[in-house]
Amino acid sequence: MIGAAQDAARGTESAPAAHVPGAPLRVALVGNPNTGKSTLFNVLTGMRQRVGNFAGVTVERVESSYRDESGHLVTVLDLPGTYSLDPHTPDEAIALDVLAGRAGIPIPDVLVVVADALHLERNLYLVSQLMELGLPTVIALNQVDAATKRGVQVDVVELIHELGVTVVPTVATKGEGIDRLRHAIAKAGELPRPMRRFDVPAVVTSALAPVEQALRDDGVPAHSAGLEALLHLTAPATDHGPAVHTAIGAARSQLMDAGLNPESIEAELRYGWISGVVTRVVNDPTARESTTSDRVDRVLLHKVWGMVIFLALMGIVFQAVFSWATPLQDAIEGSLGWVGGQVGSVLPEGDLRSLIVDGIIAGVGGVLVFLPQIAILFLFIGILEDSGYMARAAFLMDRYMRKVGLHGRSFIPLVSGYACAVPAIMATRTIERPRDRLATIMIVPLMSCSARLPIYTLLIGAFVPALHFAGVIDLQGLVLLGMYLLGTIAAFLVAFVFRRTLLRGQTQPLILELPPYRIPTVKGLAATVFHRSGLFVRRAGTVILALSIVLWALATYPRFDVPAGTSDEAAQELQLANSFLGQAGHAIEPVMRPLGFDWKIGVSIVSSFAAREVFVSSMGTIYGVGGSEEGTGLPAKLRAERDPVTGAPVYTAATAIGLMVFYVFALMCMSTVAITVREAGGGAVGWRWAGIQFGYMFVLAYAAAWLVRVSAGTFGWGA
Amino acid sequence: MADACGDSCPLMACKTGNRAVVVRVGCEGAEACRLRALGLYEGARVSVVDSRNGLLLQVRGVRLAIGAAMAASITVIPLAQ
Repeated sequence: MIGAAQDAARGTESAPAAHVPGAPLRVALVGNPNTGKSTLFNVLTGMRQRVGNFAGVTVERVESSYRDESGHLVTVLDLPGTYSLDPHTPDEAIALDVLAGRAGIPIPDVLVVVADALHLERNLYLVSQLMELGLPTVIALNQVDAATKRGVQVDVVELIHELGVTVVPTVATKGEGIDRLRHAIAKAGELPRPMRRFDVPAVVTSALAPVEQALRDDGVPAHSAGLEALLHLTAPATDHGPAVHTAIGAARSQLMDAGLNPESIEAELRYGWISGVVTRVVNDPTARESTTSDRVDRVLLHKVWGMVIFLALMGIVFQAVFSWATPLQDAIEGSLGWVGGQVGSVLPEGDLRSLIVDGIIAGVGGVLVFLPQIAILFLFIGILEDSGYMARAAFLMDRYMRKVGLHGRSFIPLVSGYACAVPAIMATRTIERPRDRLATIMIVPLMSCSARLPIYTLLIGAFVPALHFAGVIDLQGLVLLGMYLLGTIAAFLVAFVFRRTLLRGQTQPLILELPPYRIPTVKGLAATVFHRSGLFVRRAGTVILALSIVLWALATYPRFDVPAGTSDEAAQELQLANSFLGQAGHAIEPVMRPLGFDWKIGVSIVSSFAAREVFVSSMGTIYGVGGSEEGTGLPAKLRAERDPVTGAPVYTAATAIGLMVFYVFALMCMSTVAITVREAGGGAVGWRWAGIQFGYMFVLAYAAAWLVRVSAGTFGWGA
Repeated sequence: MADACGDSCPLMACKTGNRAVVVRVGCEGAEACRLRALGLYEGARVSVVDSRNGLLLQVRGVRLAIGAAMAASITVIPLAQ
């Protein structure tokens, strides 16, 4: 027993995993961020990936498979990019849990470690930790082309010598070395197991032995106990029993008595060994020179010019998402209308036709319309990410975002929110710490998205006079800008409040690797865009389909017997007024009254939960204008609308502004709710956060709209 | 100018082009672990590539950006140029 513990302390304990012949070979892909790991994963397995979450955590679990040259099935699990197996951050903890067999899935048969040839020294840190697990290991030395281009030579044969594991040079972006990698994976189990390659001072070994024993007694498997004992020296584990804590405490004081720093001992030992390996293996004539990336950074990270360029880039992205998407959105809308028409002409008149055409096609279509924006946004995010600029943007913005408790990486999702909250919330995945990410998710829908634009346009066009000041500034434009600013300022204030209440805690300090600039590949970008768009269509689509059917039913039942001779439009209005949705509109009228909204606005607001711009088409239906030719007759009808009792106009400029302000804040978008549920953790946790988000935004919306009305009344403005 | 900050000083006080040896990583546990894994541990050498906003460091052949607060919690001894 003691002997085995000492073996493991030296990292020589063999792992238990022995692949069962006939069963699929289970491979885990591990590596530092920025090594091209995801690209390698895609090239290795094709793009048939399955995406899920690891049980209990919001860490994404991506799996795929391929058949190797002899026809055996190989399943590949892509673990999150990590710099070490440090158990203190969720992404890295999950990697360690998988490798120690604690994640509810069996210990992998083979480890493939992706190492960046250009930054081998730093990458070898994780490699050295993984080797101690004694699992069959293959190293994919990736991006060898970039290294060669810089004049950096890695002696692969010497590296195999030093590490004692197979090393396969690869260029994932061009698919080079993949066949050899697959071959090496198939053979890895037959080779001697890797182990720790450096000597640990006797004082450290003897201090660690009791920790390791305590860990084993606590259920940690033999193959990872040696490594975990060393990892726990830096900071005590949270998820182990008191015996482990006592042992760690004793080991730490023993080491301090010996004049060692328990926190840095692992790094010192590993980097000490790595330095030797690197001098023997890597020939880097450029080590001290400043690189092209450095020269570019001198401009892009400049205090003034860096910001100017960054804001200009954001402007281009924002513009593109708006303008490039429009024709595609029109095309989708057009073809959905055509499909609806075709289906409508085939099916007999009745509830089934109404369900399919007005419910499913219109409802799901209303959401599919966002697909072009999502795809374009993720194309740009992909370009920024793959080129290496995203890390610079986070670095530039960090100072400003930190003031309200957000992280530098929160900025891109917030800007994306101007286009559509759905991809924006999906983009928060680059924020590592869950609280920082949640704070960002909570405020993203306050950024005025493109679906609010039709509402703003309708109401401003109808009620805000087109006055011009000083020739260039016009009042309508100013009001529109005001709506965007209102949402944006509120977003930062709300973030500030969340960081002091529900999401208390320090924002993660900024530690970022700035990867060298690279030209993104079409293949990589396509993978990102398809992956993210697919997620949106599949996940949000199912929930939205269900909600569309519910909303349709509420607007259709109970059936109302329209008196003969009424026009189609009037019949439609009567039906809606008497439906459950219409009744709901009447029921909430007392609530809406203080805001100056009547039941018709109420119904439109309720139905706009499907998507905000539905407000405009609902108003069209109610006022009998017809959704298709929106805008033409509607503003005039709205201006003419009179209160049936008092005869006063229903819509004043104050009502219009109040309604717009309501939409600045209110979360009237079922797609956003669906995506928040998913991204905030799924299940009960996800619904809780989505509920909080919907609730606080509704309260803000109501209070703000009421404030507009009251102050308008007080100052006699807009009446 | 290299020893403008005396014997030991916060990393934040170093200027563009300075090289230094880390003597203490004084930040919170998880961040300290991350920094050490990235090669910024007690005894490691770093060079300051850019100190205009936050700090851009060269550590183990990698460009590392760290925020001002974090750079203030790391103690270093500057090396002569």
